[in-house]
Amino acid sequence: MADTQIVKPIGLSSARPRAVGRRGRAVRYRLGRLVLYGVLLLGGAASLIPFAWMMSASLMTLGETVTRQLLPSVPRFENYVEAWQEANFTRYFLNSIVISAVILAGQLSTSILAGYAFARIEFKGRSLIFSIMLSTLMIQGMVTMIPNFLVVANRVPFIPLPGGSWLNTLQGITVPGMASVFSIFLLRQFFAQIPWELWDAARIDGSGHNLFLVRVVLPLSKPAIFTVTVFVFIGAWNEFLWPLLVTTTETWRPIMVGLYRFAEEAGPLMHLMMAGSMITIVPILILYFLTQKQYTEGIALTGLKG
Amino acid sequence: MTAASLQGVGQPGGRAAGSLKAWQSQLTGYLYILPASILIFCFGLFPVGYALYMSTRRWRVVDRGYVGVENYLKAIGDPWSALLFVGGFLGLLGAWYLWTRPGSARNPGYRVARIASLVVVAASLWLIPTGWVGMLSAGDERFLNAIPITFYFAFGSIPVQLLISLCLAYILFQKIRGQEFFRMIFFLPYITPVIATALIFRNIFSPRELSIANRGMQALGLPAQEWLFESERLLNLLFGTEFGGFLAGPSLALVSIVLFGIWTYVGYNTVIFLAGLGSIDPTLYEAAEIDGASHIQQLRWITFPLLSPVTFYLSVIGFIGTFKAFNHIFVMMEPSALGTVTTVSINIFNTFNKANQFGYASAQAVLLLVIILYMTFVQSKVLGERVFYG
Repeated sequence: MADTQIVKPIGLSSARPRAVGRRGRAVRYRLGRLVLYGVLLLGGAASLIPFAWMMSASLMTLGETVTRQLLPSVPRFENYVEAWQEANFTRYFLNSIVISAVILAGQLSTSILAGYAFARIEFKGRSLIFSIMLSTLMIQGMVTMIPNFLVVANRVPFIPLPGGSWLNTLQGITVPGMASVFSIFLLRQFFAQIPWELWDAARIDGSGHNLFLVRVVLPLSKPAIFTVTVFVFIGAWNEFLWPLLVTTTETWRPIMVGLYRFAEEAGPLMHLMMAGSMITIVPILILYFLTQKQYTEGIALTGLKG
Repeated sequence: MTAASLQGVGQPGGRAAGSLKAWQSQLTGYLYILPASILIFCFGLFPVGYALYMSTRRWRVVDRGYVGVENYLKAIGDPWSALLFVGGFLGLLGAWYLWTRPGSARNPGYRVARIASLVVVAASLWLIPTGWVGMLSAGDERFLNAIPITFYFAFGSIPVQLLISLCLAYILFQKIRGQEFFRMIFFLPYITPVIATALIFRNIFSPRELSIANRGMQALGLPAQEWLFESERLLNLLFGTEFGGFLAGPSLALVSIVLFGIWTYVGYNTVIFLAGLGSIDPTLYEAAEIDGASHIQQLRWITFPLLSPVTFYLSVIGFIGTFKAFNHIFVMMEPSALGTVTTVSINIFNTFNKANQFGYASAQAVLLLVIILYMTFVQSKVLGERVFYG
């Protein structure tokens, strides 16, 4: 820089302040970046510190949690075994896996069919039915909770259930969650983008909607179906209020209700409670880290389309 | 079949086959939506009607017959006060209409409309508290007090949440190295099961002297607090005032829960803001740069207007979300908070599940639905009109 200025003596007087200005701008740019990274790191720390505290506390002795050490002197991994056994997590874990899988299977099949119909089949009243469905998104969960509880307890005469009351059963927990307007909407948006030429070609080959859906639409929609799968599974795993209402026994109690009960019973045993919490979130964390790109992009998509 | 063969009479065969096909296609459509429709009808639509029906009956575990509006009266107290109260809110909406309708100052009646609007606002501001006091004296205090608590919860969470996440998204958008890494970290609290994270925060905001929150206070040189156990209102705590009721702001326990909510949802809002920023056409900024617009000007005249649909969406979603928030409040609720964190949702759950008053809980749920519909309507009127769609 200095060399070029000496070679060109004319304009030196004006070049110097400009050079300083440029350097000043670079410094200011660096400083700005530093501030930006500082804010991001602060935000990141705020997000992570609670998790770090949970992990640390889950490895302490009871005494250490009471005196609130920041780190355990010796990490006690046996806390996890103890929490697992105390809280009966084997049962709740299996329950939650089955419940989430059943809800997932149900919701995927109902939403794929309905999403396909709303996107690609002309039938009378299609847009009316679709807008009625969308309007249920406005309805607040508390309004439907009480009647749904009575329906599942088989105490509503208009909706007789096969096999009597569904309280404390797998179907009682899962069936109300087997259809979701949100999933239907998401899949419909995706199915609608598939080119109509493919349908024309399939029809000439003599295939109907069933075959077209299975052979063409589903393979083309893998990313969308994958996104919905992750959404639904995480949602089902984290579900709390509904299973809390319809499970009074351990038979089908899912992990989140189990964790809550355990926390109520083992309240003062902080180290076990934190170990228990840690156990319940591990599957979700693994799933999230494996799929986070599709997941966050799916979320962003719903936000923009919504 | 008969329909198809009838139509086929006097027409070329191809047409008949076509209508059969069309008929088949219609049937396929109905069959495809049938499973989802049955479920959504049984568990999404029918319950609304049934909740209305239940709300008119004395129903404690078992149905004991029709009582008309008794459950509603029990909740809101004196119907005349309630009318004043509701009238006040409708008045505010009307005032908004009067204020914005004439548009330009040159229109005739502009000044009249503005003055009328101010008069209506003044009247509404008299009606609302008058009605409220009347309702409180005769109605169910628990239910009525839950309403301002829910509003504190919503208005404490959403603006802060939006502001923080807009800043984070804006920073992440500046070609930051590790953008995806930070996005993943910020999103982590949203994805984690809320029961587990609420348990962690119950621990962080515990009243013990060495809890994480109190260590933070200590580091700032402030006295230790009771956090989730504190029923004292924020203003009274901060300034030593002695306001009664909800005038003194949310209790510290509610503030702790709001902080938890912000922690949970900032990541979600950031991801959506980031996507919104990404969808703004970069040539707009280039053009603005050539015209010599400063960074702040670009932010004010390009970024904010083009981001407004996203902001609107997030505020509506956030509002509905805070009104139905249940799980984390349920987990973090302590008896010594003395009901200062009992939002409407929690109160409905208690009425239903603990007190077994099914009919009364349904009436409260219907009232909550009406409040939410009113608020969504207001939001779409007041905020929605300012949204700039490209």
